[in-house]
Amino acid sequence: MPGISFQSLFIFSALFRVFLIIYGEWQDANMEVRYTDIDYFVFSDAATLMASGKSPYERSTYCYSPLIAFLLMPNSFLHQTWGKFLFSASDLLVGLLIHRILKLRGVPEKLCTYSTMVWLFNPFTFTIGTRGNCEPIICSMILWILMCLMNGHVLQAAFWYGLVVHMRIYPIIYALPIVLLLDPQHFQPGKKPVLVEWSSRALKPSSATSSSKTSITQYIWNFCINMITWRRVMFGIISASTFFFLTGLSFHLYGWDFLHEALLYHLTRTDPRHNFSIYFYHIYLHYEHEFSILEKLISFLPQFIVQLVLISRFALDLPFCLFLQTLAFVAFNKVITAQYFVWFFCLLPLILPWSNIKLVWKGLACIILWIGAQTNWLAWAYLLEFRGKNVFFQLWVASLLFLAANTFVIINTICSHLYSPLFQQLKQGGKLKQGYERPTAEPL
Amino acid sequence: MEARLLLVRINSVLQFVLIFLTIIRSYVHASTTGQAGYVDKYITKTYFEKHDSLIDPEFDNFIANEIPLTLCKVLEDGNCVLPTLSNLHRSVIGEGSHRHLSSSIIFKFQPELKIKLVAHSCEVIMTERLPSGVFADPFELQHLVQRGVFSDAAVFGDTNLELPSFRSNRSVVEIHMSIGSKMLSRHHDKFEINCEVPLHARYPPLGLGFSRVEFGQPDLFMCCSLEVNGFKRSCAYLPTNNISDYKASPLAWEIPCGIREHAGVVSAITYCFALVSALLIVVLSFCYTDNKGSSKPKSL
Repeated sequence: MPGISFQSLFIFSALFRVFLIIYGEWQDANMEVRYTDIDYFVFSDAATLMASGKSPYERSTYCYSPLIAFLLMPNSFLHQTWGKFLFSASDLLVGLLIHRILKLRGVPEKLCTYSTMVWLFNPFTFTIGTRGNCEPIICSMILWILMCLMNGHVLQAAFWYGLVVHMRIYPIIYALPIVLLLDPQHFQPGKKPVLVEWSSRALKPSSATSSSKTSITQYIWNFCINMITWRRVMFGIISASTFFFLTGLSFHLYGWDFLHEALLYHLTRTDPRHNFSIYFYHIYLHYEHEFSILEKLISFLPQFIVQLVLISRFALDLPFCLFLQTLAFVAFNKVITAQYFVWFFCLLPLILPWSNIKLVWKGLACIILWIGAQTNWLAWAYLLEFRGKNVFFQLWVASLLFLAANTFVIINTICSHLYSPLFQQLKQGGKLKQGYERPTAEPL
Repeated sequence: MEARLLLVRINSVLQFVLIFLTIIRSYVHASTTGQAGYVDKYITKTYFEKHDSLIDPEFDNFIANEIPLTLCKVLEDGNCVLPTLSNLHRSVIGEGSHRHLSSSIIFKFQPELKIKLVAHSCEVIMTERLPSGVFADPFELQHLVQRGVFSDAAVFGDTNLELPSFRSNRSVVEIHMSIGSKMLSRHHDKFEINCEVPLHARYPPLGLGFSRVEFGQPDLFMCCSLEVNGFKRSCAYLPTNNISDYKASPLAWEIPCGIREHAGVVSAITYCFALVSALLIVVLSFCYTDNKGSSKPKSL
């Protein structure tokens, strides 16, 4: 394949997004069906209310942190497209960070560029920012946190982590793997953590040092014994302080409206309306009475078990762990909307260079099954919502198939992955504990 | 002595504050009722300031007794010759959960009224009491106002867009339509107003397949803003029950609903499917070894 420079790719992506924003304005003004996401009008209205000194929660269905409305205040005095440009800029920043993270891990330039293209040219991602959805901001913050950890800037990572959990609750699932990673074997005083190079993924641990190899089980054991370390404590204190400060300030300004809409709503959300989740029909059929504690626990159990096992097995390969956790979190959630897919799409390029999956046919099978299951669900949803047919049962079966497709993707991703811890283990004194021997033939 | 003086002063201040608050309250009350004889911007708003939910007999009483219908008096028309309803045709257009409630209203009027009605910026106000099970999106209506489809529109009552019908209350949509341009038609004694209100279905209670939602008649008002009264709005009620050819058959919308008999099977399979999927991932995760490093990695 001819080489594509990352700079050209980036500039083309930026221009394409500008074009989409301009096109979106034209479509909104001239066609019945609007290009702009309905959420963008919610953000804009909330921002206008905030700009005039009122609560953004006077805008019904605004269920986000007031920071989002604050960021969009220029919509009311600059131009209504300010927010779209901000979200698209975040979208491009995600591409930049993906490229930077892969370069830090020693991935060759060509592979970096191809992996980044998976984000920059994904139809889900370039439409989401240009239509006015705020998810790219969250994605860029998560990648920035990853980069801070890779560069050894733990305190900075903690601050951004507290901020991102305030803005969106779901990154709370990353707390345990991050804390596990802040092990003294990776972080030592006065020294940056040493990243495991991409080129070593084909290497076997040296037989001379195999006796000192530390398994994930050993890590967890070490964690339990040496749980309290300076870095872990500081990470916890700074991220929690940031979260509680922002939450407390928002509560002080906007009261219980903020707590209900921006926090409790998301923690307790059970939407009986049709969505991709397998639980929607079950919730609708039981909406007239409250679920018992046992029923709630049983619904939560698969999610809890999967998260715990993925963390315990893959935490040290942090990008891979975050990707699997996010995909599983979305798949087993009680409510799934299309914007949630962006949460794991931003992490997918970070694991592709370590995946053995062949595009033909396993890769294609994953893509076709995942998109096919989604299309099947959308077809039944169209019949229900726009044709008025009673196809609740068929739609629910389609959601089961979508979970099956997600499970298939997770399983194949695990099977094809070349496990590669993010950091090398260090002895006391900063020397490497584990060496690698190169194979005789370099694969690239 | 000094203590007594202080008490007297405090008493005077309190009395002054009480009088001040009373004045403020009466001003607020007057402005919410649009001052005596005149109607505020939205007719329905006053109802929901006094009531928590829409109850038909209470709303009928509100229209009959609490709205100052003084248009005839203001127009100095002792016979109160206003446009009369000639025809009212209603239908629900579209398919699925998003439809339009269409109302086609034909008015007859005496030709000499035409100049007055155009000069006084008169408009027809339609209040649609929505049945439980459907709702209007206030922001969608605002978008239509911005595009000039209506001169104004608002929703009162339960405007929560997400709750199913058995967890929500009813709402009222108020649509304002200017009649100025409609009067300049080729007909010298009648004009027609067409109104399509976008509505959305809530999830209905469980049943056997479909849930039926029925619409009643709208309430129609003629309101004018007269310069002589400082452009304050005066209204008159236009009864719909004296239309000779209006068919009073109820307008209905069939909405698909969940089937109660599915509950057991759906719950059991949902739990089992989630558990099996989770166990597959768990088993594979435990079977995964980190010896993959010895496998041949892919090349570019």
